[in-house]
Amino acid sequence: MVKLMAVLSVPVAFLAAVASLGVVVVDVREGGPDGHHIVVPVPLAVAQTALAFAPEERLRVKLDRAAQHLPLAREVLQALAAGPDGELVRVEEPGEQVVVTKVGDTLRVRVHDRNDDVTVNVPLPLAMAALPDSQGRIPMANLAGALGGVRFTDLVDVRSGDDHVKVYVW
Amino acid sequence: MKRNVLIGSGLLALGLLPGAVVAVEAPTPWLHVRVEEPRRSSRVHVNLPLNVVEVALKAAPETLASHGRIFGREGKGMTVSDFRRMWSELKRVGDTDLVTVEEKDESVKVARRGGLVEVRIERKGKEEVKVEVPVEVVDALLSGDGDELNVKAALAQLQKRRGDIVRVNDENSTVRIWIDEQS
Repeated sequence: MVKLMAVLSVPVAFLAAVASLGVVVVDVREGGPDGHHIVVPVPLAVAQTALAFAPEERLRVKLDRAAQHLPLAREVLQALAAGPDGELVRVEEPGEQVVVTKVGDTLRVRVHDRNDDVTVNVPLPLAMAALPDSQGRIPMANLAGALGGVRFTDLVDVRSGDDHVKVYVW
Repeated sequence: MKRNVLIGSGLLALGLLPGAVVAVEAPTPWLHVRVEEPRRSSRVHVNLPLNVVEVALKAAPETLASHGRIFGREGKGMTVSDFRRMWSELKRVGDTDLVTVEEKDESVKVARRGGLVEVRIERKGKEEVKVEVPVEVVDALLSGDGDELNVKAALAQLQKRRGDIVRVNDENSTVRIWIDEQS
């Protein structure tokens, strides 16, 4: 009995450690009677490590004239994060609605049309971390660090007909 | 007993302090833009804290060359320099009509009313555009040189404004831009 506990304690401790560090979960439910339900949990530490070792040439974006506006974009995001909460944008047309709300340090974008509902929560620190530098490089170390700060956040929720996709950080 | 009362009062004061700080904190001004097209059942509402607008407007040009004339089209109207000269004289007069341009189906009137400069554009006798600009904003706008408008300075002044800035009503759409302290 003691041996069994000792053997089990290692994976349990490992899982507990992984869970305590955070897990990104991609949850896909296909509609219909034969629809699949796929759940892909990725330990946050693995995602962060993968980001840190991602090849640099793949993480470079071509900026051209946009490069000059990056400092401004960063400042706008900072001002937005520091500003009060509230509804920032609402666009309504027959059968379509887009609402952008600021809640805490998260931008919540909701798009609704006749068949689809999309909710994207953009943590502003993550958005700031994802902004490329003046050379077009996305600073992966910053991004990996910021990812650790968005635990317990539903990042994406898409409902299209009977299909449902969720990406959240647990 | 007295000690307990003092401790209790101190704790109560500490408890109330955050509320008091919140109470005296200046409310955040918000810029609101509403564009509505009733025929298409289309509405666009944008609400932004002014501090965000202020940062975003760093991308705005500091000055704007008018490239000709303002308050008129096709060579009519006045140059910025003309208007600056007239403005410096008329500012002292008080409430008055500053500019009136009458065309066949359209009239443009610029007048000073109290602390505001009102721009009204009417088409076929119906008010379509109404712009209310504080006098200080016009001063700042005209603080550029020659035919340049000092946009940066005008925007800085505009941030003190509360109330309507622009109203446009045409047959298909309405636009309203205003600043208040509600999100």
